[in-house]
Amino acid sequence: MKIFFMWLLALSITFAADATIDVIKKVDTLPSLAVEDASVKYDNAFKMQFYKMLVADLNVLSIFNVDGSYRNVDFDASNVVVENKDMQYVLRYKMFEGDAGSFNVELKLFKANGVVLTKSYKANKNDFYMFISHAMAYDVNEYMGEPSVEWMKKKVIFSKNTTPKKTEIVVSDYTLTYQHTIIAGGFNIFPKWANQEQTSFYFTSLDSKKPTLKQLDIKTGQTKVLMSSDGMMICSDVSADSTKLLVTMAPSGQPDVYLYNTNTKKSSKITNYSGIDVGGQFLDDNTVVFVSNRLGYPNVFSQKINSGAVEQMIFYGKSNSACSVNGEYIVYKARESSDSFSGNTFNLHLISTKTDFIRRLTATGVNEFPRFSKDGDAILFIKNYMSQSSIGIIRLNHDKNYLFPLKSGKIQSMDW
Amino acid sequence: MKNIILSSVAVAVLVFSGCSSKEPSVDGSATQATDSSNAMSGSESMESRIAGLEKKLSSIYFDFDKFNIRSDMQSALTTDASVVKTEASDLTVKLEGNCDEWGSDEYNFALGLKRATTVKDALIASGVDASKVTMVSNGEGNPVCSDKTKDCWSKNRRVDFKLLP
Repeated sequence: MKIFFMWLLALSITFAADATIDVIKKVDTLPSLAVEDASVKYDNAFKMQFYKMLVADLNVLSIFNVDGSYRNVDFDASNVVVENKDMQYVLRYKMFEGDAGSFNVELKLFKANGVVLTKSYKANKNDFYMFISHAMAYDVNEYMGEPSVEWMKKKVIFSKNTTPKKTEIVVSDYTLTYQHTIIAGGFNIFPKWANQEQTSFYFTSLDSKKPTLKQLDIKTGQTKVLMSSDGMMICSDVSADSTKLLVTMAPSGQPDVYLYNTNTKKSSKITNYSGIDVGGQFLDDNTVVFVSNRLGYPNVFSQKINSGAVEQMIFYGKSNSACSVNGEYIVYKARESSDSFSGNTFNLHLISTKTDFIRRLTATGVNEFPRFSKDGDAILFIKNYMSQSSIGIIRLNHDKNYLFPLKSGKIQSMDW
Repeated sequence: MKNIILSSVAVAVLVFSGCSSKEPSVDGSATQATDSSNAMSGSESMESRIAGLEKKLSSIYFDFDKFNIRSDMQSALTTDASVVKTEASDLTVKLEGNCDEWGSDEYNFALGLKRATTVKDALIASGVDASKVTMVSNGEGNPVCSDKTKDCWSKNRRVDFKLLP
């Protein structure tokens, strides 16, 4: 009997660390949490806007069963409202206006009628309320001792098609609630953050005679040209130290993956195949993962940067045309149905390079452009379904997906 | 004041170092090329001549996920090559590869480029000067039809001919 329990324990520890294993029925065991608004300032419409944002953020944390009932209370009341007395956690907040119209929020987290966490937040104006909400959820998650959700505070950059040959590049929060158009009017695609601080980004301009890779500094507003190539010129990945880029170029009409050094400004060819090699991603300092049609259909391969040996990474699906890498995990897009235009065409799958497990992450629509968060905790992706373009987020360890629709336009590509 | 000047110099160095790279795969003349084409666009006669010639050039259409020339497109391609070799022989041909809406990732852009490459190869085989042909992929970003039908999607899987001075 003791041996059996030891075996069961070992099994659970082994599988607990594997993100390709599905988590089922975990929702029943999550602690309950209610939200109480103690704000006096601001109109009811804005109060509800903030409340809904906060509830959405807390839901995305995936560590609570969040009660969606809106409750008013005095901020200094010692007890939670009577309707929430059976809740395991109650989050109470108060919004108020500070100096020069600043937007301020105070937070209290109750557990068993005692305050266990207090925090204060401030933004220049209430237009940035969503970032305060994200920060509050981040802090609650930290208090709960869960793995960091740093990605929640990161900015998303995406390009969207507006009209033929016209796009806009937009910076947003991860829910698309805040949106600020950085570049409008041209044909600019594939934006990619240039550094961890998200102070500048690369993008491809198709307005010139040849596709041109440019970099825009958000703080100064200045744009510089890096290089151009006939056919294609796309920045696919940026190394963790921001000094190396993986770019797709096609100077002779053959798209291949190149390594570009931002210090020396020199590029070198990594892949060499007469068909399609695109979408390079750093697996580690010496290895890249990329999409190639060298088997007659798009699939994911890896190659050492200084070696020509190519290894097939995915053995499932006959059309795997995009991927994102984080440590041992690869998330990839696969066309699953034989009917090219059926309603269930492209789904995301997760594999581990160390096991044979495959986990299907989406079920309906066209799901593409998967992007791991830096810590690998979440995957951001684009979903196009029923003429609606959305950004989706998958919490791997919680087996939950959330969608945030775009009001207009179609998302072309995005980075996180 | 000194700080302002130093900042300006630093910015200038950044801009010029980005534009003057001599790496073989890098085309530092892209900006200049754009400028010269803009200058030429002031000529109305050239514009109208180009517009007239472009009307004679037919788009080449492709099957889903394919970049080989269909048999029913051979005739159009032969006519296109003839126009490029004769009436438009002094102009640069820009082949724009396009895709349907099924996928906005790099692979889809590469598919558009391979379509343009196939057309370029056919033009060269017909005697067109390779140095007069440039290519770009618009991916799904330049649709001529936005309905959700197979017929509409087939109109977007194409290579367009554009002429540059």
